[in-house]
Amino acid sequence: MNGKITMTISIGCTALILTMVMFTQFKTVGETDITAIETMRETELRAELASWKSKYEEIETKIEEREKTIGEYNSELENNQNSLKILENEVKEAESYLGYTALKGEGIVVTLKDNEIYNIDHTDLLRLVNELKVAGAEAVSINDERIIGASEITEINNRIIVVNTKRIAGPYVVKAIGDKKYFESALTIKGGYIDEITGSGKDIEYNVQDNIVVPAYEG
Amino acid sequence: MIYIAIIIGCIVGAIIGAFAPVIPYTYSSYLSIAIVAALDTVFGGIASVVKGNFDLKIFLSGFFGNSILAIALTYLGEKLNVDIYLAAIVVFVGRMFMNLGTIRRYYIEKWINIIEKKNKNRKQQKTNEA
Repeated sequence: MNGKITMTISIGCTALILTMVMFTQFKTVGETDITAIETMRETELRAELASWKSKYEEIETKIEEREKTIGEYNSELENNQNSLKILENEVKEAESYLGYTALKGEGIVVTLKDNEIYNIDHTDLLRLVNELKVAGAEAVSINDERIIGASEITEINNRIIVVNTKRIAGPYVVKAIGDKKYFESALTIKGGYIDEITGSGKDIEYNVQDNIVVPAYEG
Repeated sequence: MIYIAIIIGCIVGAIIGAFAPVIPYTYSSYLSIAIVAALDTVFGGIASVVKGNFDLKIFLSGFFGNSILAIALTYLGEKLNVDIYLAAIVVFVGRMFMNLGTIRRYYIEKWINIIEKKNKNRKQQKTNEA
């Protein structure tokens, strides 16, 4: 009898537990909205997360590519500007080299004068210009006539000195831009140009200056 | 007596389950596999009653042990990324059908026996009358 009671109770409890769990499960399954995120299975959530992640990564790589191309364009622009500057500098250099622009800077001003006995010869000017060029002159002018590669210093009838097909007369002011110390030492060296000119009885003066303007070549 | 206990248990359990809170969907797979295991044990118990070798201890230990084992296997399968619960379902449902077959055969045989007895009785009555 005792065994029968325990059996009854335990089987009843078993039935109770089984139906309780089953109904709980029915309710859970019935009420669960598959699309709701809170009740989604972990694996589904993971899959969703993975897909979003991959999308995010895709977009990120796209952004990186775009930024790269923007950077390329920027660098190209910079390069263009740089090359523009370089070209401008080159043009300026070439112009200054050709003498198409006036130059300003430190240098030397040499003045040759005719005196009662001796006249200044065109060779004196020629040699002076050569000396100055050897001493590193960037620009040379005689009486504000710029000396360029095509310039000539010559004489007509042993009387009239012509520079750049223009007649000039004394005093002859030769301006040169460059290192003034070099100029000074190149001209005043013993047995140098000044010695020669003074030795031949001609008048020469020079003074170094910090601000000399050599005009541009004008035809 | 036992049938009354079963019916009362079922009704009370249904009421409690109907008012129980909804469990998270993640755990509902564990619960479902436990239910299948428990149902298997129940049918096994009925079959053993039919066979006449029912043991309460074996029934109860099977009821709870199988459920817990099924849950543990499902959990392990999730950790191993193998759907072990499928194997558990196959085994439990297969056994359930076997037990149901046993029960069905028993009752059919019983029924046939009853019919045959009735027929025999009639024949005997007829011969007696004759």
